[in-house]
Amino acid sequence: MHEIQSKTAPEVDFSQVKRIEGFATIQAEYSAYLSDESKLSAKPFDYLFFPKTEAELAAVVKFLNQQKVPFTVAGARTGLVGGCVPQQGALISLEYLDKVMEVYRDEPSGEWRVKAQTSVSLKNLDSMLRVKQIPLLEQSLDETIRMHYAEFREDPDEYFYPPDPTEMSASLGGSVVTNASGARTYRYGPTRAWVRGMRVFFANGEYLDVPRGKYFSSPEGQFVVYDSKGDAAMIDIPNYPQPRTKSTAGFYAAPRMDLIDLFIGSEGVLGIVTSVDVALLRREDKVSIIQFMDSDEQAVTLADALRSEGRIQLDFLEFYSGNALDLLRRLQREEPSTVGMPPIPENAKAALFIEMSFDPHQEDLDFSILEAVISSCGGSLERSWAGYESRELDRFKVFRHMVPETINGIIAERKKQYPGIHKLGTDMAVPDGHMREMWDLYRSRCEELQLEWCAFGHIGNNHVHVNILPRNLEELEKGMQLYEIFAERAVALGGSVSAEHGIGKIKAKFLKVMFTPEQIDQMRSVKKALDPLGLLNPNDIFPVEVTA
Amino acid sequence: MKIVVCVKQVPEVTNVQVDPKTGTLIREGVKSILNPFCEYALDHAVRIKHSVPGVSITVVTMGPPQARDVLVRSLELGADGGVLITDRKFAGADTWATSLTLAEAIRTVIPDYELVLVGKQAIDGDTAQVGPEIAEILGLPQITYGVEVALTNTRRQVRVTQEVEKGYEVIEASLPALVTCSKGEVVRRAPSFKDVINARKKPIRVVSANDLQIPEEQLGLQGSYTQVVKVFPPPAKKSNLLLQNLEAAEAAKEIFGFLREKRFVE
Repeated sequence: MHEIQSKTAPEVDFSQVKRIEGFATIQAEYSAYLSDESKLSAKPFDYLFFPKTEAELAAVVKFLNQQKVPFTVAGARTGLVGGCVPQQGALISLEYLDKVMEVYRDEPSGEWRVKAQTSVSLKNLDSMLRVKQIPLLEQSLDETIRMHYAEFREDPDEYFYPPDPTEMSASLGGSVVTNASGARTYRYGPTRAWVRGMRVFFANGEYLDVPRGKYFSSPEGQFVVYDSKGDAAMIDIPNYPQPRTKSTAGFYAAPRMDLIDLFIGSEGVLGIVTSVDVALLRREDKVSIIQFMDSDEQAVTLADALRSEGRIQLDFLEFYSGNALDLLRRLQREEPSTVGMPPIPENAKAALFIEMSFDPHQEDLDFSILEAVISSCGGSLERSWAGYESRELDRFKVFRHMVPETINGIIAERKKQYPGIHKLGTDMAVPDGHMREMWDLYRSRCEELQLEWCAFGHIGNNHVHVNILPRNLEELEKGMQLYEIFAERAVALGGSVSAEHGIGKIKAKFLKVMFTPEQIDQMRSVKKALDPLGLLNPNDIFPVEVTA
Repeated sequence: MKIVVCVKQVPEVTNVQVDPKTGTLIREGVKSILNPFCEYALDHAVRIKHSVPGVSITVVTMGPPQARDVLVRSLELGADGGVLITDRKFAGADTWATSLTLAEAIRTVIPDYELVLVGKQAIDGDTAQVGPEIAEILGLPQITYGVEVALTNTRRQVRVTQEVEKGYEVIEASLPALVTCSKGEVVRRAPSFKDVINARKKPIRVVSANDLQIPEEQLGLQGSYTQVVKVFPPPAKKSNLLLQNLEAAEAAKEIFGFLREKRFVE
């Protein structure tokens, strides 16, 4: 089925919706809404809305639509490309839509699922699942919801939501519209793989409920969305191929594609996702291992070897360059407890960070294959850190997050002297077999230009974040040129210019590196079909907004 | 030289949530860990082992069979062998019955021990009684609240930096002796994965009531002088100070005045 009809939300009194009017007041009292994790600054905008229900949201959107006021939508504001930083019009914060609505077992698949409003944070979701305590469900007036919740609690196994985009304060809905990925994408795929349904509101204030597996594009590559009055919006699915690697650049498109996949990763420019159904997985005991190596090259070799060893199933495979470890060492020298880990061994010149299933109660642990692979690449399991208790896993996770946090701190400091300075963090992924080539390019070019830099991230998905830390504006310029060179090479190798951060407002120019003008026009026409006035999240993905 | 470290398994309280209705701890999903103060004690033992040749460390715990986990954890962190004292007859032991059992097990299994290290207290019971009681039962000199533990050059004494009200004291005791430890490395050790694998190959001896020369009436609940009758959360403090409708500077002045009055600031 490729036809679907949108519905209208119940009417509510628009004047009751919490709102702040006037940029001066917003600036003075709601300054947090002027930026996100990208540190991009907002341009003046006139309204800030806080709808508490979907009906309130619909009322706000209808009002803005009637007034032809462009509006930006914000979740937890943890994005890295300025997606929710308004440049005009209005900002709608979805933060009050933050309730878990149901936990239920889907009978055909047998999997446990959570239905939740968009602004439930990943951290809260994780801890609620961990202790199986969701008071709202226990007190629900709906008997079915209470019954499903009781069944969930009675299930002796523990469950978790696999996507793990490191930033756990991110909202669930935000992670869906950005198709967030992270370390565990190596084993479990990106967020897309776990989304089973959603409710999405359009710029006209009407909504669709889209379950996975029900609406597919026609053989001609089309969807038709009728509004409640029967007017049709024709969506022609772009015909570009997807890169052979993880990617969040541009809309997802494929022959006979599922409608839900169009919205996942669309960065909110097609609609506002207000609730999602996501699948859970049985939690297993894990061990985190930080394996120190003698050089970056040795670590890259080990990553390749671990990936090609089919008998080893890792949850994630992450990389830390030698200069990334140096940054942490510097922190440790200043204050040994900051990093939360023992001193990083002096002879450690790079590291891989892996996680895998592990039963701490098994007496004869056999990790001889892992040990052999590590030895064959010049490493030794004796030069590692390992942890499997939940507090240890947490501490290792903090350590994993420490490099980007440290870099942000350094950049913030440099900004005081050069306000124009910002971090240059690459986000390119390349297909299997090309990581080493990409790594050689990263290293040789950064060293050639004598830039301060380091690298870390998802080497298992051939997706290493190179971070350039400009010390002045001249270095910033050099770094930006380098970024383009890296992007062009990644695309030439069949990769993506944005594997996980998205395009937003900051990386729009790289979309052109990856897609032809015709392909970008195909994306624009999808946007235009669902948002003819170009009101929704203006300037995201498409810098010059389409107008009717 | 043999060092004994007594360890205890405790709930991981950092993630414990309180049921808002009943006020009790939500135990589902709460893992058990090695009591942090016991980990400090073990850390001191491992440091002695690294600085003095010929030292071996035996970790001893009393508890249900799953208390084996803290022994394994201790073996990963550098202990050489473990003793698991477990028997239904030990159930319900208070600090006295626990100390008596631990002391007897140490005397039986490691008769040639020279130093016993224990955490100053467990983070679940918080009594800080078991260490001193073991010392009394074994007739050992004891030093409490140790933050640094080392052997003297002759290796006949232990030298301990002890936390006291207004600073530190350095005290020596002749071996064998017992030290309760209140602090160790600021940052916890991280074993290598090799250590984790190898820990599972190290010996753990299981000791039951039959292995010990203690009359049955002195074990467990029967041998306990004290009993926990009721557990309840402390009443929440409700007093607070709310300043409203003040200019920022004025509010700051008020808050400063309040803090000074309460002696939080000088």
